[in-house]
Amino acid sequence: MEMRKHLESVGGETGYSWLYKATVINGGVRATVTILVISLSAGFFAWYTRSGNDASPDSIVGLVYATIGTILLLLAATRFSKRRRVHRNRTIGGLRSALGWHMCFALMGLAFLAMHSFGEFNPRSGTYALYGMIALVISGLVGRVLDRIIPRLIAGEAHRALNTEGDDRIETISQKLQAIVGHNTQNIQGFTTPAGNKQAAASTAQNSLLPVALGQGQGQGQVKAWREQTLHTPWDLAYISLESTPQELGRDGQYRFVPDKKSGLTRPGALMPGTEEHISELEEIRQAMRHEIFYRYITRYWRTFHILLALLTVGLLVWHIVYALQLLLPTIIH
Amino acid sequence: MFKNNTHQQSVRLHKTGPQIAQELHACIGCNECLLACPALGESLTIDVLNRETLGGAISRPVAQFARACYQCGACVSPCPVGLHRDAMMMWLKVRLLRTGWEE
Repeated sequence: MEMRKHLESVGGETGYSWLYKATVINGGVRATVTILVISLSAGFFAWYTRSGNDASPDSIVGLVYATIGTILLLLAATRFSKRRRVHRNRTIGGLRSALGWHMCFALMGLAFLAMHSFGEFNPRSGTYALYGMIALVISGLVGRVLDRIIPRLIAGEAHRALNTEGDDRIETISQKLQAIVGHNTQNIQGFTTPAGNKQAAASTAQNSLLPVALGQGQGQGQVKAWREQTLHTPWDLAYISLESTPQELGRDGQYRFVPDKKSGLTRPGALMPGTEEHISELEEIRQAMRHEIFYRYITRYWRTFHILLALLTVGLLVWHIVYALQLLLPTIIH
Repeated sequence: MFKNNTHQQSVRLHKTGPQIAQELHACIGCNECLLACPALGESLTIDVLNRETLGGAISRPVAQFARACYQCGACVSPCPVGLHRDAMMMWLKVRLLRTGWEE
């Protein structure tokens, strides 16, 4: 709330709504041209079919529709791709404009090719090419919707994985866990190993994951070294130890702590207060990162799918053109 | 966390605030990322974008650009110093999202 007030007080923008309004240079011009071209061609199509003329894909009008549709499709396929790859004469916003025209050309091309069919879906090659074109345009439109939705979802997951200062929450929580383990380890160091249990103490000392303060015969410097080593041990390694605890080591001694079965201390993590919460937070962040990766894969593979579909459609179109020319050329020659 | 997983390594995750600040300080302001961007719809200078990404108020053009960015990664390869503008834009998105949720 404070951040928002601060940003508003200095004239800043706030919020990231799903329905944000994108600023597009010449977006209105492109939309007008597309609507106008489709409307005019559709109007002509309606007049032509009602006036009893030859309404077949291989009629003159049908072939004109096919030619214009193919040119528009090729423009949609090549113009944006070329603009992306060629670095010369680039301007800010130029690629956005090219992307806009890519969509406009695709929509106009689909409209022209649909009109070229005149509702005849008998020739397999042409029908497949048209279906490929429809699928391609739909995949492009779905891709644009995903481009709007997915980045916001990723931002949501990134927000979950970062704290308010922008630091990695995993690191912060790991440090807290390490502090808890370090604190508990220091408490455990309060237990003294009986002098008669030197072998067990040596075994524990070799392990170094859960060190105990050594009793007689060990110098202060070594105890300090153990302590330093303990504090630098990663929390997960320090927490999960298969070695005997000091309580178990002290079986032969005076003290062994065994909580009552009904006691709250038997709950998992009761002897490590705060650990469970931190571990569940870690799991939550892990999940957020998994989601983020998943969303990124969706956008990446959807683009690949769109490109593959475009290649397939171009292939079907070439097949259809070759097939149509085989039928048309003998008629034209004779 | 995912560093050991080679399959997931190919997908880059978001960056932290300090990492973003480090990248912004390394930016040489050549504008290549903005020229390669298919989401940028209006004229914007790199110094304004960098300054507002780092902190403070987010102006309308920068906010609109941040919302329009769809993380295609086209800005990454042209950068002569190998910075990740997409990660910086994600940081801006997170900032905008947080201010929105606080309302």
